[in-house]
Amino acid sequence: MIKLLIRYFNLMVITIFALIVLSFLLPYLFPGDLLTNVSGIVPQSELQREALAKAYRLDQSYFSQFQLYLSNLFSGNWGVSSVSQLDLLEEIKRAFPATLELVIYALLVATFVGIPVGFISGLKHHNPADFSVVTFSIVGYSFPVFWLALLFITIFCLQLQWLPISGRVDLLYEVQHQTGFVIIDIWLSGLDNTKDAYLNALRHAILPTLSIAVVTTALFIRFTRRSTMDVMEKGYIIAAKSRGFTQRQIFFKHGFKNALIPILPILALQISTLITNAMIVENIFSWPGIGYWLIQAIYQQDYPAIRAGMLVVALFVLTLTITIEFITRALDPTKEETARAAV
Amino acid sequence: MNLPKLKINISCLKALFTQKTFYTSLTSKNLICLILSLIAMGTLSGCKPVQKITHNAITYCSESSPAFFNPQLDTSSTTADASAHQIYDRLLEFNPENGKIEPGLASSWLVSNDGLIYTFQLRRNVKFHKTDYFTPNRNFNADDVIFSINRWRLPSHPFHNVNGGSYPYFASLNLSETIKEVKRINGYRIEISLFKPDSSFLANLATDFSVILSAEYADYLLEKGQPSKLDVQPIGTGPYKFVYYQQNQYIRYERHAEYFLPIKGSEHLIFDITTKSSLRMAKLITGECDAVAFPSQNDLAVIADREDLTLLEKPGLNIGFWAFNTSKAPFNNPKVRRALSLAVDKTSILDAIYLGQAIRAKNIVPSASWAYQTNTKELGYNPVRARELLDEAGVPYNFTMDIWAMPVQRAYNPNAAKMAELIQQYLKDVGITANIVSYDWAIFRENLTAGMHDSVLIGWNADNGDPDNFYRPLLTCDAIPSGTNRAMWCNRDYDKIIIQALSTDNFEQRKALYHQANTLLFQEMPIMPIAHAYQYQAVRSNIQGLDINSFGGIRFDDVVKTP
Amino acid sequence: MQRFSLYQEEFHPSPLANVWIEFKRSHLAVFGLIILGLFLLVTILAPIISPYDPYMQNTNTILLPPVWEPNGSISHFFGTDALGRDVLSRLLYGIRVTFGSSLIIVGIAVFIGVGFGALAGLLSGIKSSVVNHLFDSIMSIPTLLIAIVVVAILGTGLANAIFAITLALVPQFIHQTRSFVKSELTKDYVTLDKLDGAGPVRIFFKSILPNMVELIVVQATIALSIAMIDISALGFLSLGAQTPSIELGQILSESLDSAYVTPWLVALPGIFILLMVLSVNMVGEGLRSALRNRFNH
Repeated sequence: MIKLLIRYFNLMVITIFALIVLSFLLPYLFPGDLLTNVSGIVPQSELQREALAKAYRLDQSYFSQFQLYLSNLFSGNWGVSSVSQLDLLEEIKRAFPATLELVIYALLVATFVGIPVGFISGLKHHNPADFSVVTFSIVGYSFPVFWLALLFITIFCLQLQWLPISGRVDLLYEVQHQTGFVIIDIWLSGLDNTKDAYLNALRHAILPTLSIAVVTTALFIRFTRRSTMDVMEKGYIIAAKSRGFTQRQIFFKHGFKNALIPILPILALQISTLITNAMIVENIFSWPGIGYWLIQAIYQQDYPAIRAGMLVVALFVLTLTITIEFITRALDPTKEETARAAV
Repeated sequence: MNLPKLKINISCLKALFTQKTFYTSLTSKNLICLILSLIAMGTLSGCKPVQKITHNAITYCSESSPAFFNPQLDTSSTTADASAHQIYDRLLEFNPENGKIEPGLASSWLVSNDGLIYTFQLRRNVKFHKTDYFTPNRNFNADDVIFSINRWRLPSHPFHNVNGGSYPYFASLNLSETIKEVKRINGYRIEISLFKPDSSFLANLATDFSVILSAEYADYLLEKGQPSKLDVQPIGTGPYKFVYYQQNQYIRYERHAEYFLPIKGSEHLIFDITTKSSLRMAKLITGECDAVAFPSQNDLAVIADREDLTLLEKPGLNIGFWAFNTSKAPFNNPKVRRALSLAVDKTSILDAIYLGQAIRAKNIVPSASWAYQTNTKELGYNPVRARELLDEAGVPYNFTMDIWAMPVQRAYNPNAAKMAELIQQYLKDVGITANIVSYDWAIFRENLTAGMHDSVLIGWNADNGDPDNFYRPLLTCDAIPSGTNRAMWCNRDYDKIIIQALSTDNFEQRKALYHQANTLLFQEMPIMPIAHAYQYQAVRSNIQGLDINSFGGIRFDDVVKTP
Repeated sequence: MQRFSLYQEEFHPSPLANVWIEFKRSHLAVFGLIILGLFLLVTILAPIISPYDPYMQNTNTILLPPVWEPNGSISHFFGTDALGRDVLSRLLYGIRVTFGSSLIIVGIAVFIGVGFGALAGLLSGIKSSVVNHLFDSIMSIPTLLIAIVVVAILGTGLANAIFAITLALVPQFIHQTRSFVKSELTKDYVTLDKLDGAGPVRIFFKSILPNMVELIVVQATIALSIAMIDISALGFLSLGAQTPSIELGQILSESLDSAYVTPWLVALPGIFILLMVLSVNMVGEGLRSALRNRFNH
């Protein structure tokens, strides 16, 4: 166990270090002025340029520059955007929770819809209901999310006019940014119409959530269904059946747990897919998350922002993945590797 | 499940789906509704019908992020929209109906007989904005006017170099060389003297760019060591005060309670920055926007048809054009420029991009201007002749050039990327390969000013009714460094004509000179004029008081929303 | 005259034939295969079968509706776009680019991935462990993020998008190959080979690779569907294909300009992307259950 912990801790440290090195190298690879790529500041005069170059140790060795980068990174001095001159760490603190919020909503939907449906369908496989579930799921995860989002907008916003299109909450509610999670921020803002604000935020969240939840739900259904089918064919289940237990008893006593545990890590790893999809969908719904922010940064050639945003998202996903893997291995040491990408 | 709970749940759903009655909620118990009710149950303890606080707030969906909250620094209409008539006032204003000059912060003015000395009597009891970040201790007075003008006029001014130090509009007109002195007579009277008479001087003081800033605020910032805040967290005298700006997302304003004029406008004003015109249209339909900038030409018929939307239109004082970078070979050769103009069929551009909502441009001023020339010459569509000219100029087959297409919509060019694609095909017919280039708007203009382009699809919107506002900023030598002369074209003869036209008040004389300039432009073809487009604004039908401002930025001081 | 056999011969289909027999039993999979075949055909034959030059503009006939609308005409089956170009032809070319580039991506990813994976699997010890862990980690970085970084460095364009997606897909092939090779190395038939004196290269190509083909094909179908969605997503976000190249996602984002008046221009490219991905997934699903059934028998 300790050995495992150390191994995974090492892996985590190495990966994080590799990412930091990569992000350190990016400004040298990006087009444009190195000084601006590093600092986010466009020097107005030669004097300023020299001062900046000195401050960022561009006249010194790469190693010394890397040292500075590391210390800046850990002291929270992430530099400024080359376009807006805003502090990058603050900007990311604002944008990233929005993405996480969307991902959590979608994960909830996928869990509470995908897993039960998968169980039912797995228990009653090869009947018409199962067939339609399988069809839904295969179509579901074949959907390009951006198109699905547009489809939803056309139906629910333009035709039926039920739901709003853009943003997290109507701008009429003066929700101040504090934690970045709109649910908490509404609470902290102390509006006199908090309830309306919540309802409004909910209405804004429905379509983006559904757009990315469809794909993940479809995947969850498949994993759960397959796992249930496999478990229900196991010897101990057949033995229980022969002893006269009902299907329901067997499932809740043995099947449920044994079907769910092996796939939980696979399901948790879907967060990476969810983040990718959320980053795409944000651009359609103007959801002020990290995806929207990064794509704007690309359009505006804001290299310091791209560097910082990339580092944060990659760090988050990698830390999460490694943690999940560690937990899985710790719980079940017999397991050699976590199965992945097997749909 | 017990019944009352279910009922609450359904009313919740009803509330969820806005004003529209949700009849189908009972029948369509599909998956989505289930999830919704689950979430709704989870997050809400009780439930009452939703009443949005839509009264007293106007949401305007603008097309782009402003660079600063000070139009002195930028000629882009996005910056002007976001600040010129919201946050600031000018000494003089244009009457939105007829373009005549009216009193603004100056209640009256006198011009000396030789046209060299202008005296302005200033309005009293005009209050600056009181905000979280600044509380003014005094009213508007002569010091503010002197500060605002000297900032761009004098390179030695402590604020001259703050936030870039370039004042493109004033620089393109060479105004800092025109003004000799700005003198304080007393607290409410100032005198501006010029080196030479300038018939467009008053008009220039009424443009969006001649805003009046607070000198007290500037001193305060200087003391705090944050001078750059002047253009980012603005203080002005205008009908709205600045509250908050989130880059690429929104701008929030609040009404200036002590504005010196009575205004009807709403308590809150929000600019919801929405760059895609299709998304703006969608948000207008769902009611997320009360008014939108630059509706797509494709959607105009739909907007006009729908009862809940209103389309405002006005013939625009503008020009959309294709500018060739004359500082670069082979575009420094008039033959090449003429050839490129001959190679493109303007009619098809008018059909496909403006959908007929524009007037074909023959020279640079639109027909609404008194300087318009009816019998002007124009190059037609003639690809054969174009190829001949290219051969004469020694431009080889498969010559490659860039067409820069501006990334934002403007009345004068509703879809530059599409237009570039159209032109790309025409150029292919004469053996030229064209690449379409586009950047984010701020970078786009920066790179244009640096002259990195081969050619660019862009245009100009009038800031005042004087034809000089087209001829001078667009094509004179002084306008190159200031970044309004997109053709980087410098012709001494042309400059001479334009300056001559400015020194007289005689309309016929000026007209003749401008016609002379037209002929020169026709021969030299630094830009290919394309269209004078109609200006459109789409609003929801319950919005009243929004007019299209022919001379620059949008104004919301009298815009109200009826429930 | 037909020969008849006196004794009933036992029929032993080869493993591959077995898979095919199982595959055929699923109508959905066969249906998917047919659609996939059609897309492949379009990809190859787009220039021949498209009725018009996809770049040919005609500003006299812009935004014509498709044939099923009241004003539609058969001369432009799917109508025309905002510059009067034939939508059908553009879509066919778009399929060609989206499908074709996805194939290229997967081809390269398989080639590189299997190569490195085999190397990592055959070389045990510290080297393998480092390669293993690094690639494992890289695998979970979202494709879009990799694409954003690549686009930031190299600029937008189809080629760069292809490069970025390939980069994102390679690790999973490495991972699969490596773990497969590692598990096969412990098996008896490989030990036998080793005892016969075969070197690692020979073992890999003669013994392990043939057993791995099915696994790779299944993995490739998954990768193909991911590649298709990613390449069109990048096109949609204007990070991938740029005008004048024609790509489904890019057509989709261009048609948004007139989405309200001509909704079919937005619907059609989306439907084609969906169909394309769906057919790949149906085939992949069919293959997987066929393989599973074969093992079960």
